[in-house]
Formats: sequence, C-alpha cells, structure tokens
Amino acid sequence: MRTARVVVSGTGFVTSIGNDRAAVSRSLRELRPGIERFDFLPGTELPVKVAGTIKGFDTTAPQWAGWRWPAGYTIPKDVLRGLPPHGLHAFCAMEQVIADGRLTATVLADGETGLFCSSAGSPRLMRQYLNQIHDSRGERIAPMSVVSSIAGTLNFNLAAHYGIRGAVAGFASACASTTQALGYAFDEITLGRQRRVLVVGGEDLSWESIYTFHGMRALSRNPDPARASRPFDRDRDGFVGTGGAVALMLEDAGAAQARGAPIYAEVLGWGQASDGSSVAITHPEGQGLARAMRQALDSAGVTPGEIDYVNAHATSTPTGDLSETRALQAIFTAVGARPPVSSTKALTGHGLSMAGVMETAFCALSLAEGFIPGNANLENPDPACEGLNLPRTTVSQAPRLVLKNSSGFGGSNACLVLRRWEI
Amino acid sequence: MTITPAEAQLSASEKLNGFPPAVAESYLAFAESGEATRLDHVVLGVLQFYLAQPPPQPLVELPGTTRLVEDLGCDSLTMVDTLFLAESLFNIRLADDEMARVSTLDDLRGHFQRHILGHAEVTA
Repeated sequence: MRTARVVVSGTGFVTSIGNDRAAVSRSLRELRPGIERFDFLPGTELPVKVAGTIKGFDTTAPQWAGWRWPAGYTIPKDVLRGLPPHGLHAFCAMEQVIADGRLTATVLADGETGLFCSSAGSPRLMRQYLNQIHDSRGERIAPMSVVSSIAGTLNFNLAAHYGIRGAVAGFASACASTTQALGYAFDEITLGRQRRVLVVGGEDLSWESIYTFHGMRALSRNPDPARASRPFDRDRDGFVGTGGAVALMLEDAGAAQARGAPIYAEVLGWGQASDGSSVAITHPEGQGLARAMRQALDSAGVTPGEIDYVNAHATSTPTGDLSETRALQAIFTAVGARPPVSSTKALTGHGLSMAGVMETAFCALSLAEGFIPGNANLENPDPACEGLNLPRTTVSQAPRLVLKNSSGFGGSNACLVLRRWEI
Repeated sequence: MTITPAEAQLSASEKLNGFPPAVAESYLAFAESGEATRLDHVVLGVLQFYLAQPPPQPLVELPGTTRLVEDLGCDSLTMVDTLFLAESLFNIRLADDEMARVSTLDDLRGHFQRHILGHAEVTA
C-alpha cells in the first residue's frame, strides 16, 4: 500500500457557463449565468421554460452525422458513431483535460491511468432507437444503439478511444455519482493502485433527460432565466436542468509534478453516507448528508471551523435545499462556524450526475485563483437558513479549505474536502 | 423501385443530414430515375462517409475488386452501419448471411442492385 498526496492536475469543461477553463472561471467570478429560455419540446406549451444551455454545439440532429461542434476539435467518425449527444461534449472535455494535464498517449495507456464516468446514458437516443425497433417490428436496430444510449456510454467510448488500460468504471447514484467517482478515484490513488484517474460526468440536455423530472414537480416553472434557479431563496420552486460534460484529473502529486502538470488543488479526503429513507426525497433533517460531511472532514483531518467555503449541492428545490440547510446547520452552525456557502447551480442549472465533478472543478478553480463564487439570484434568503453565511456576490478571498457536497436519488450523499495546493 | 421521390425527399432530410451533399443528390436522382449508377453512388457514398480513414480516391472511382477490410480498413461496425442506413433509405431488409458474403466494392454494389433493382449481375 502506498499513501500519496492526491491533487487535481487537469480540467476540461463544456458547460452552460463556458466551454473552457478561462470562460468558466470568468463566469464564476462575475456570476454570469448560463441559463436561458429553452424549448424542450417544440410545438407544445410545457410549463418548464428554461435550461442551462450549451453554446457552440448543435446536437439536435437525430444522427451524429448532423452534429456540429466548435472548431479545434478533431473527432474521428469511428468515435462519433458510438457517442450520445453528451458524449460529444465529454470528448471535447477529455481533449481539454489531456492538454491541460500534459498527458501523452503513452501515459493514458500505461495501465496506471484510470477512468471513472457517470451519466444517465442518453434517454433521447434510447427513445429514438426503441421507437425505431418497435415501429419496424424488430426489423431495424441501429448497430450502435446500445453502446451510445445506455448508462456507461461515456466509459465505453472514452476508454476505447484513448486506449485506457487502468481501472475503468461507471457510477450510477444519480446526482451523487461523480462526487462518489472522485472519492473512489482518490482511494485508488492513495491505495497505490492507480497513479491518476480521469473522472468525467456528462448529461444530455433534452426533454427526455430533463423534462421527465417534472413528473415529480422537481423543476422550476419560473419562466425567467435570471430568477428560475435560486438556491436557498424563500421563493425557489425547483431546479433548472442543464447538460454538457466536465472532466477532471486526480493524480498522485509526485507524478503530476514530474510531468509539469498544473496543480489546482489537493484532495484531502472524502465521505459518503445514505439517508436510508426515501427513493427520491432527501432526509428532512439531512441526516445522511450530515454524516457524509462529518466523515469527509474526519477523513481529511480538519474541523468544521477550518472550512473556508462550502460548495453546496442545493439545487433550488424547496425540500432539497431545506434538507441540506439542516445538515449544514448541524455540522457548522452548531459549533459556531460560519463558512461562506454557495450553490453555483444558480448559474449553471443542475447537471444531475455531472454536477459533482463540475462543481468540484469549480472548487478547484476557487482554490487556485483565490475567490469564492456568491449565490446568484438569491434575493430573499429562506428564513430556515438562519445561521448560514450565504454571500450574494463573489467574495475576493482566497479559501484554503473547501467542502463540496452532493446528494442523489435513493439518499446517496458524498462530500469531498479540498485544500489549496501547498508544497 | 422501393421508394417514391416524395418519400426520398423526406428520408434524405432526416437520414442524410450531415452527409456530403452529393450523396443526397444521388439518392434523390435514383428515386426519380432508378438508375443503377445513382444507386451505386448512394451506397458507396454512405460507406465512404463512414470510413474512419478517407480512401485514396472516391470509392466510385476505385476498382470493383477493392477489398473492404484489407484495402479500405472497413471494420465490421462500419459495414453494419452502412448496411443499416442503406436498408433504411431504400426500405429493404437484407439477410444477415448475405451480408457476411460482402467483401469487395462489387459485392456491395451487387448486393443492393439485386435487392433493389432485381439485377442478377452487378452493373458497374
């Protein structure tokens, strides 16, 4: 067994607030939102009117041959044919993390590089292909229908294309998925089984992926893009969906330094715990999340009072934000700690399984560049949030220790502790 | 003829979006004329678009004896992708065991000419 210092040594972004690190950083600092009016199902009058859209890409065509992406990415056809729409975004995020982290093809295929991914698959492609099979009475089955649409599509495609021979796995704990993936990546490295693990999350932005959440009335029906996603606000009414993909590299610090890779942050530890209560609603007192936070802090060897910033899971749903508030109060307020807490989902929308890796990447930028993103759209803090420090604007203060929270269906909760890189 | 020009218009806009315009033009021309040459251009145009590595010259200009795997680097998924789309464009169903016998450009041409035009031999 080997114990390593684990660092974030590469990033890649295709998000509603930017398609590269510089654009994302600027959006976070200036609280520039990526949410706009979005027609989920043209020709209908759905009650959900906004989404965190991906700019510069067009994946509306039913087949990959009709998709478009920004100049600068060369995507082989034998890769494209197996990708879902968010797989195109993931490919571009991978290209960024590889360039940023100074990875070579040799390193990617050295057996010490792993790949952990998560997405819900592509409900859009699955519907399209299943309809085709049904309507043709079984005569027409698109050859790549399975690998391009099921959960696992990201790890299938990316591992094959990049020749990754280390640990490859997919995670399926909904919105906690990529935070868990990062936690297990941390373990793989500290246990000495991998030198680095690329963690990739992605989601389609389509009615099949997002609008279906309206069935449980989880989506905001506020038509105003500037006010629909408002975590911790008294008047929040649901989350705003988004898609895209984010890639993050966790790596043994020595390996990253030897390669001259940039180091954005150090990962100190993580924790996870489940609510054990409801399939789709977080525990009303946030018990699972509180235990996950405590475990993460213990794992990292830090106290609540040392945390300088919490990037909350808060999606802007009435019950979910309240549950997380209770958990934060139990961990922090109860011991007199008041770190700034913000949810960047006010800017991006909720990226479902991608959310954890996206927001951990935001935390890494926050640590590396010395700022704390504020709570955009927060006008009237929910009185239930008493005791929480919810800055409304960006704080020009360099945090040293950051906690990242994530929660998912079934009551899964996962938390990470990151620290500013110090040699 | 398995498709009408009106059907071809609709099908081309749905299924050939993003392909080189010449493929859709050949497809629409075939729907009007039923000419074997137009059919060849569609089938070979689809295959050429799907190939991971572009061929040294357009497939329609290569000898009919050109081998799909050895000479063009066509893998089995590229082959089934091509056949799947072509089946869909021409509204036909090809037997799996027949597909397994397709190994050259002439085999591919002949395969579709037999199914769509009823030709006994390939018309180059």
